Amino acid sequence: MSTSSMQTVGGHGDSPQRVRAERLNVEQASYAYSATAQSAPTFTLGATSFQAHERELVAILGPNASGKSTLLRLISGTIAPLSGRVELDGEETSRLDVRTRAQRIAVVHQESPAVYPVLAGDFVLQGRHPYGRALRFAKKEDIEIARNALAQVGVEHLSRRSMGELSGGEKQRVILARALAQQPRLILLDEPTLHLDIGAQVELLERMRQLAQENRYAVVIVTHELSLAAEFADQVVLLQHGRCLRVGPPAAVYQRELLEQVFEAPLDVEIGPAGRPRVNLRARRGEDAT
Amino acid sequence: MRPLTVKRLLWTCGALAAVLLACVVLALKLGAVPISVTDLVINLGRIAIGQSDQLPTEYRLIVFDLRLPRILLGIMVGAALSVAGASFQALLRNPLADPFVLGVSSGAALGSILMLIIAPQIAVLSPVGAFLGAIATITVVYFLGRRDGQLDSTTLLLGGIISASFLSAIIMFLMTTLAGRDLRGMVFWLMGDLSTPVPAGLRWIFTAGLLIGIGAIYTTAADLNLLLTGEREAIHLGVDVTRVKLVVYVSASLLTALAVSASGAIGYVGLLVPHAVRLIFGSDYRLLIPASALCGAIAIVLADTLARTVVAPTELPVGAMTAMAGAPIFIYLLRRGLR
Amino acid sequence: MEPKFNSGATNRANAGLAARARAQSRVIPNEVRNPSFFRDEHREIPRFARNDNQRRVALKRFGRHFGTLVRVRITALPLLLASGLVPALAAPQVSSPATRSLTDETGQRVKIPADVKRVVSLAPNLTEIVFALGKGDQLAGDTDFCDYPPPAKKKPHVGGPVNPNFEQIVALKPDLILATSINRRETVAALDRLGLPVFLTDPHSVDEMVATVEHIGDAMNSKKAAGPLVSDLRARLADLDRRLAGTTPRRVLFIVWTDPLISVGRDTFIADALRHAGAQSVVDTVAEWPRVNLEEIIKLQPEFLVFASAHAGDTQHDIDALRARPGWRELNALRLGNIVVISDAINRPAPRMVDAIEQLARALHPESFNTSSSSPATTPQQIEEACACAR
Repeated sequence: MSTSSMQTVGGHGDSPQRVRAERLNVEQASYAYSATAQSAPTFTLGATSFQAHERELVAILGPNASGKSTLLRLISGTIAPLSGRVELDGEETSRLDVRTRAQRIAVVHQESPAVYPVLAGDFVLQGRHPYGRALRFAKKEDIEIARNALAQVGVEHLSRRSMGELSGGEKQRVILARALAQQPRLILLDEPTLHLDIGAQVELLERMRQLAQENRYAVVIVTHELSLAAEFADQVVLLQHGRCLRVGPPAAVYQRELLEQVFEAPLDVEIGPAGRPRVNLRARRGEDAT
Repeated sequence: MRPLTVKRLLWTCGALAAVLLACVVLALKLGAVPISVTDLVINLGRIAIGQSDQLPTEYRLIVFDLRLPRILLGIMVGAALSVAGASFQALLRNPLADPFVLGVSSGAALGSILMLIIAPQIAVLSPVGAFLGAIATITVVYFLGRRDGQLDSTTLLLGGIISASFLSAIIMFLMTTLAGRDLRGMVFWLMGDLSTPVPAGLRWIFTAGLLIGIGAIYTTAADLNLLLTGEREAIHLGVDVTRVKLVVYVSASLLTALAVSASGAIGYVGLLVPHAVRLIFGSDYRLLIPASALCGAIAIVLADTLARTVVAPTELPVGAMTAMAGAPIFIYLLRRGLR
Repeated sequence: MEPKFNSGATNRANAGLAARARAQSRVIPNEVRNPSFFRDEHREIPRFARNDNQRRVALKRFGRHFGTLVRVRITALPLLLASGLVPALAAPQVSSPATRSLTDETGQRVKIPADVKRVVSLAPNLTEIVFALGKGDQLAGDTDFCDYPPPAKKKPHVGGPVNPNFEQIVALKPDLILATSINRRETVAALDRLGLPVFLTDPHSVDEMVATVEHIGDAMNSKKAAGPLVSDLRARLADLDRRLAGTTPRRVLFIVWTDPLISVGRDTFIADALRHAGAQSVVDTVAEWPRVNLEEIIKLQPEFLVFASAHAGDTQHDIDALRARPGWRELNALRLGNIVVISDAINRPAPRMVDAIEQLARALHPESFNTSSSSPATTPQQIEEACACAR
């Protein structure tokens, strides 16, 4: 079911084909939650396998409660798989100590409300935490890196503003800058487009792809936005009810019957001019003759 | 951006220490019996050059045996309560947290009462009883506050509040059913009272415990900054959240236990001083912790001086003073928006 | 009124304190005495031992504070050794005025100077006793609540009994401090630590109160004044016992407060005073100031209600208001007017208490006394007279 390939996938502005190192290797990883140690599992994530290479954008796609967050936690090393392996550059993520893990993997969540105000610049400096010692007074190098990170997402002018004053999109970018400041090899994003309007969503994914190219990140995005995943992802991992149904480039995964079954909505899939699938909501039966 | 530098930290702490020193001199000078600053300096000088036999006896009694120990105790208690308050505010992610919210002071009061019942003659056992009661409460609340093997903010808060209520009810029961004499002093203890110095044998333990507690919390200051942005985020940024929460919980509770055993429950200091420091100096815990310690010391020294002088010769309990001054300040902060 | 400290000024009292400190130092044998234990030892440390002044000041305080636990100097020795203090060399003895060693009512030994000129009282009843002994002029200070006799209100105040101001006490340069059970242990311990002699009284009954008068007289070196007063009080109490022998005690409810209803416990001296007056409280609990249930009282139906009051007029007004209230109406004593209002001196263990006891006895057992009135004092006029008698 899984396809591991070293091929590039056609898309916008993609660089010519060349060999890319494999960063993330998820091999038959599974997990199960249960309320107590004795009771039966309430949720399981079945064996899932896929790989993410550098400069590649992988989308983990699925409806709600399909196991996307669990898979993300497995990848980030927060939990250890019950079977199988999750490796980053050959090392098991769950076996790494917290500090090393933070130096290799950056996770971008939705922002939880901050209890006290913090300046955007200081917020991004927090990304240097895994590299510091003791009280972690910022060194010149750290300040440089933080400034660069802010510049890469285009919000350097906001560094002295308080986080509470920023708009949703600006906040999202500052959070991303913090992740960049960690100088990771792998960036994980958990439903980053939830509260953004369509323009901001597109802008974010564009930027992710560009950053992945420039800095050689491997990027994994958890989302349920079909169109965005189709447009920007190099690979798609399709989940439903804790089962991995298909892994592959969007064109391979976006089959109409499959998508309709997973998302339980009438959909149409067509291939766009650049070879990427486009998903449309089909009209209800009996309403339109087309 | 303007990140915190060592230089700024040291300058700020130096300035606050100078203010504290000024307050100490003021407190030594003021009291039911006035002492002039020149006399004070002259006599301190006399001691320094080894001519302390020239000091009048009552003078030495009042300054060194009455005021100075009281001021020193006030400094230590103020520092302990403020640091503990700031720590609990980070641990529980709640700006309303103060050192007593987890029931430590109720446990200490109960321990003190039980010791009064068991052995009323031995004065030194009262603070020991208070400390033991506090430790027992800390342990119970720890186990109440655990979820999935580590401390969870909400569960901890709930467990602590319930313990505090339960213990207060027991205290009330004991106080109404037992003989009145020894418990008369409990009212003062419950409002905070600096007039009883720490028994001599326990002094070094007290000071060492305070320094260890504040030091241990300070080592996690950078982690606390991250913890405030969210636990998940903190883990992903390399913070060992389980260890940090445990260290902060134990240390802050220890500080509270020591402070309450020595001087009763002085309210508002642990709650308000960290907020006031945040308003002035920002929310970075690497500066907040030492600044809170110093500002807490200043606050208690000033409050105690007021308590001693405002209706001289009657002495008000320090807790009454901090409450009377604290409530308006709290309202002001609320209006500004508890930041 | 408040003394301002002039550096270097010495006065007699100052010398007295210093001398007393030296005298205190004589109890411990020379070879084990630790001068850092006492207040004025800086006079006695030889010059070659004064090397580190700061440390010495700190050690002084440290050592001094150890003395609070046990006031007998000899038994402080193992504590000193255990504390690890290095005993300094003994200094030469200095002659001193005489001091006496007494045992106070809690069993502690107190060293009091032979010549007691200034006394500070930390409780209103002790102030009354001092004045009753005729030694009011030796009272250097008392509490805010000392209101009898009237000259007591004009004495310098040191605060309340529960939270006195130590600085004020020290500034009054007392030779002796009188304390009792309403003072906190911490207060007594702190005064002890400062090296001030504290005589602690602890009467729990009327007889013990009379003994307290005797002890205080002894402590103040006024046995001559105490003798007649004590004999008189004992004689009056004996007379009461004689008159009331053979009568059954009246069942009474002593009302401290009406809302909530508070009475007195069995071990208080008020309960003892009631017994001396031929009364028996219907409330029999261990708690000192028990809140009692009105229904229980109605079931018990005491024969008399006893109030203690400083102002009879107000009390009469309160009693009239009580008659109208539900529940209270059911009390026979209230309906029949079997109410006694006595002086509030019954609350204070001092000589005036005996007056109040006599007043109550006359009201409850008029037949045992050859008085003209045959009914208890219930009209306002009579109550006023009764209260005035006790003053």
